[in-house]
Amino acid sequence: MATIEVDGKTLEVEAGEMLIKATDKAGIYIPRFCYHDKLSVAANCRMCLVEVEKAPKPLPACATPIMDGMKVFTKSKLAREAQKGTMEFLLINHPLDCPVCDQGGECPLQDQALGYGKDESRFLERKRVVASHDIGPLVATEMTRCIHCTRCVRYGEEVAGIMEMGAPGRGEYTQIGTFLNQSVDSEVSGNMIDLCPVGALTSKPYRFAARSWELQSHASISPHDCVGTNINVQTLRDQVERVLPIENTEVNDCWIADRDRYSYEAVNSDQRLTVPMIRDGNPENDGGWREVNWESALKYAAAGLLTVIESSSGNHVGGLASASSTLEEFHLFQKLLQAMGSSNIDHRLQQLDFRDDSTASRFPISQLPIADFSNLDAGLLIGSNIRKEQPLLSLRLREATLKNQAQINVIGVMDYEMNFDLAQNIVSNPASLVNEIALLAVEVSKLKENDVPEQIALLASPNEQYNDTQHLAAISNIANQLCSKEQTMVTLGAIAQQHKDASVIRFIAQWICDITDARMVILPPANSVAGWVANCTPGEAGKNTVDMLAAKLKAYVLLGCEPELDHIDGQSAMNAMLAADFVLQISAFKSSNVMKYADVILPMAAFTEAAGTYVNCEGRVQKSSVAAPPKEESRPAWKILRVLGNFMEFSGFDQITLDDVTSEVSFENLSSPKGKTQENSDTTIHYHHTRGLQRISDTPMYRAEATLRNAKALQKTADNPPPAAGLNAKMMEKYGFSDSDLTLVVTTNGEGNTVLPIRLDNRVPNDCVYISAGHLETAPLGADTSVSLEKA
Amino acid sequence: MGIDIKQLYKTFSLKELRKGLGVTGRQLFRKKTTIMYPEEKTPKSPRFRGLHALRRYPNGEERCIACKLCEAVCPALAITIDSEEREDGTRRTTRYDIDLFKCIYCGFCEEACPVDSIVLTDIHEFHMESNGERLIEKLDLLKIGDQFEAEISAARKQDAPYR
Amino acid sequence: MTDNTFNTVRKTFNVCLPDPSIEQSWTLKAYQENGGYQALERVLREQTPHTDIINTLKTSNLRGRGGAGFPPGIKWSFMPRAAEGQKYVVCNSDEGEPGTCKDRDILRLNPHALIEGMAIGGYVMGASKGYNYIRGEFWEPYERMEAAMKEAYEAGLLGENLFDSGFDFDLYTHLGAGAYICGEETALLESLEGKKGQPRFKPPFPAAFGLYGKPTTINNTESFASVPAILRADGNWMDGEWFKALGVENAGGVKVFSVSGHVERPGNYEIKMGTPFSELLEMAGGVWKGRKLKAVIPGGSSVPVMPADAVMQANMDYDSLRDHGSAVGAGSVIIMDETTDMVKVLERLSYFYHEESCGQCTPCREGTGWLYRILHRINTGKGVSKDLDTLLDVANRIEGRTICALGDAAAWPVQSFLKHYRHEFEAKIVDASGNTSDQSKNKMTADAA
Repeated sequence: MATIEVDGKTLEVEAGEMLIKATDKAGIYIPRFCYHDKLSVAANCRMCLVEVEKAPKPLPACATPIMDGMKVFTKSKLAREAQKGTMEFLLINHPLDCPVCDQGGECPLQDQALGYGKDESRFLERKRVVASHDIGPLVATEMTRCIHCTRCVRYGEEVAGIMEMGAPGRGEYTQIGTFLNQSVDSEVSGNMIDLCPVGALTSKPYRFAARSWELQSHASISPHDCVGTNINVQTLRDQVERVLPIENTEVNDCWIADRDRYSYEAVNSDQRLTVPMIRDGNPENDGGWREVNWESALKYAAAGLLTVIESSSGNHVGGLASASSTLEEFHLFQKLLQAMGSSNIDHRLQQLDFRDDSTASRFPISQLPIADFSNLDAGLLIGSNIRKEQPLLSLRLREATLKNQAQINVIGVMDYEMNFDLAQNIVSNPASLVNEIALLAVEVSKLKENDVPEQIALLASPNEQYNDTQHLAAISNIANQLCSKEQTMVTLGAIAQQHKDASVIRFIAQWICDITDARMVILPPANSVAGWVANCTPGEAGKNTVDMLAAKLKAYVLLGCEPELDHIDGQSAMNAMLAADFVLQISAFKSSNVMKYADVILPMAAFTEAAGTYVNCEGRVQKSSVAAPPKEESRPAWKILRVLGNFMEFSGFDQITLDDVTSEVSFENLSSPKGKTQENSDTTIHYHHTRGLQRISDTPMYRAEATLRNAKALQKTADNPPPAAGLNAKMMEKYGFSDSDLTLVVTTNGEGNTVLPIRLDNRVPNDCVYISAGHLETAPLGADTSVSLEKA
Repeated sequence: MGIDIKQLYKTFSLKELRKGLGVTGRQLFRKKTTIMYPEEKTPKSPRFRGLHALRRYPNGEERCIACKLCEAVCPALAITIDSEEREDGTRRTTRYDIDLFKCIYCGFCEEACPVDSIVLTDIHEFHMESNGERLIEKLDLLKIGDQFEAEISAARKQDAPYR
Repeated sequence: MTDNTFNTVRKTFNVCLPDPSIEQSWTLKAYQENGGYQALERVLREQTPHTDIINTLKTSNLRGRGGAGFPPGIKWSFMPRAAEGQKYVVCNSDEGEPGTCKDRDILRLNPHALIEGMAIGGYVMGASKGYNYIRGEFWEPYERMEAAMKEAYEAGLLGENLFDSGFDFDLYTHLGAGAYICGEETALLESLEGKKGQPRFKPPFPAAFGLYGKPTTINNTESFASVPAILRADGNWMDGEWFKALGVENAGGVKVFSVSGHVERPGNYEIKMGTPFSELLEMAGGVWKGRKLKAVIPGGSSVPVMPADAVMQANMDYDSLRDHGSAVGAGSVIIMDETTDMVKVLERLSYFYHEESCGQCTPCREGTGWLYRILHRINTGKGVSKDLDTLLDVANRIEGRTICALGDAAAWPVQSFLKHYRHEFEAKIVDASGNTSDQSKNKMTADAA
């Protein structure tokens, strides 16, 4: 500790800390532009110059370490003179276009110019003009306004790990920009907008839409991933105009992912479903569809479902809920299905293997608090493209690698680009994934002198392909780290959870965690944890998603999902829906596919229009608020479900407020969620590769749910490429597909086939082809693992 | 209480009445100040604050840049603006409504405008016949501006030395 | 081979610059014949304690030759010699200061002195790697340096286990890309690391966090090249007093002054510290064409200008020049005769700083351009009466507010030129508009609008 005096006030502060931190804590204001709490100190704006006793020159508060006995004057003549001098220099080349600038009203330069600027300029020369380039669909630029604070550059270098912005040029000709006119659209690039202290970088979708002072703020939670990002939804006259982060150091720090920031565009899009619709078969209507009022729609839906229940039984009804539903929606959904006499309830549309449902409590909850991701010493990611799956957790892993020199390793099926350095990166293929992890378990058991269960040992027979010593050395290196480091974790990503042997992977991973004291982390999509909490999972003898689709039930109730795109096996989903007698969809968006099979479509409120509870992957329960009223006739899904319950004359649907619904949910699941390794787990391998190439599939980040699919700007980014068959250069040569504009016919073992363009993708390992899910074009391939390719 | 003789005298001699008639008589032959409105009109200050208008630049481009400062400064919340990026990349209004019933003709909007777009003209003779007409829209405002541009700019020029 | 380059060495003391009579002085043979590499050999063979060498340097009163005059002896003692890991010595041959050409001649004519000096430095500071950052335009010096290093490697004077002492020293040259700012030591390190040449904020200083984050010492070419001669001390091994006695109280030894401008014999003069300026001028043949001396910038473009009467009183050493209102800087003496247009000189200097500002911190990025533009206006007859006050105020607002010294370097000339030659600036403003009234100001504002 050190004692310093600032403006005559004595402060007890940490010695060696930068002065500006201490004054900020003490509430003493020092102007600044380049300094940001989460970024390194650049000390280049020179706005925070203060007078320090005995120093001949004014010193920058952001880069002056505290020494005991220091006397600082932030408002003395010398300090004010220096600050005003800097302000004058900043303003001479800054355009006077505040009235048309989106930053106007919330602009640090504007605010500080009021305090430190002059009303008249002495600058008689011509002002600098800088050309702005189009840097993609997310960020609008106006580089003449740039004051070269380099916050955006430092953000890319330090926090995001993606060098999107740089500062080429020298002196006055320094221009902040992208390299070689690349676009700025990584998964977290929108944060630059918040960092930019002037209007040089602004949000493109928000461009000229509103002024900051007229917006109303609503604290809410982002539904798109399992982090539970705290967001500030801002509205103007009941329309969402933009989304900003709310700082929460335990969850999202001060960052949000681009999908949290820009998904609101879908809410305002013309793809919103706003009126209840029924298909009554009248050929005069468009496809037999007509718009009706709520009462008729609900009556029709209730009657349709009751007919199925009466003619067969409740067990012929299946319920599929989107993982981004709220806790209350999950609860009422499963309650409604239960009331119908069905236990076919599930929200796990991205899972194929459910064998461990009965044997272990596989509660998808992270044993590692989100904040501790930044404090890891070592970790293993299994089948995870964490950067795109959970962008904010990826930032924390990057922080750990930089701060703690954490050793993060990957065992995966694709060479995904990460934004942090990897210690070991084992790119296997889907068929060998289980094998790799079993090998790791064996290595761990050797180090811990603990016998590996026979089941696992059997899986760990290194085949020829993986016999080389380098590979085994990498695995034993990972084992070593997990055993020797203090804070460790094993994370199962989306690809591991979609795997046909996901339960086996979970079993082995859990065993490794039990032995090494590593924290088990399962990163489920969106609000899945709430789905578990609300028991929106198959009841006893109930069917899971895969079985539900395979069984071709007579009726389906869909909550916020479009199974043909949201389910991994789009083809089976579509077939099951088409074969059903009655399909009720509750959705916020129009979809021509849904119109093909649904009988009733009820418009629900989007995530900004309905309150609800979200449970993130660490079990944190957070509530979102209503930012805007539901668009036109749409209604919050929990109200729709509740009233549907009334129409079907079920008891227990008399809740009046959302809190009434929430209070019905028991959170006891959250208190003892830890899974234990079950000795007698079924570890037979279901993944069989028979012929052709192994198909690697993931759901691109902006295809994962209807809201994202309807967000215009996000759809235009590089993270949303059109579907294609990705092959590495070697495979392209091997199969003679060297032509880059070739189209291929992709055929599966089953009947599925489709035509896709070829794409060179060197992330794909040998003998594999990458074909993403989440597209109608790739849906016919189903969940088949072997495909063959032919020139079209 | 005694009887005031002077008062009695005043009352019965009709002194006040005659005095008043005298004033009337004098005024009868003075120059008249009454004007025959609406046939006749009094002169108006160039600062007169009447009906609103949106101005254009001489090349026909509308001045308004949708900065919404007038909306923010309006004490009566009479102005409502929606904005967007026009195809040429400039910031423009898609809606500019003034509620003439709410407006208190304080002229703050004109003071706040950085591009001299919204102005208060000296038109004070306007009426409306149905409720909806109190909302005056962007196109109407531009039309008023176009029609009276000569008067508007003349008034501004006249007042310029004092601003 | 008598090389085809013009020999600019006018006077030597055989410390940094070799005697012009030595043929091909840049070769190893010539250098060794004149006592070269004896110091390195003796130090390594005898394993002279590094503190002794530092003490010799301290005694010798050698001041850093890059401009700031910080004694290398003290700088070397800051290096955490015992620290684990790699340490570096870096030579700053990015000689970009207008008027300076001394390092160029050292590299061209005496590269081995530099190599020897750096190797000794490496030994003293426990650094096994050295980098020589050479200015991008110095192609010929770069080739000479490379050739000399090749010779030294072949002769076992660089590389592993020098003179069986167990001391390894590898030297690398790096050619810059023409940025003046890379002469600033931390910008030089950034550039060496392959980044954009921008000064770092200090602290931490390079001795703690230097090249690639490792302890690093950076010295000027001339400082390193002086070390072997100081240790040899003309036969009295490690006698710092010899060098000290050559100079004056506060600055020991001899120093190379690059004399340029309006003199009969421009070139590099290695003279004793404390030599009166008048003597130096005389050596250089006096002001050319028999004209009168008007002003002198005694230490490179960044130091304040001195009017003739002040400079004729001054001696060429740190204290004397400081007392007369300027500084030794990098020792580049720019002589200006009576016909010189001081406004034009300052405009040109300002243009240089405007071009060379790295753009990192606000006052320098925005201010240097502003200074130049005002001066350009004044010089082209469009000045207004308030310009001189603005000029001075802008310069004052740059000075001392930036990360590195380039801001100061841009401000000092403006301040000193206006101090001594304000009347010339005023004359130009009056000339242009006929008067200094607001008339001209209004005209300017209209132009700017």
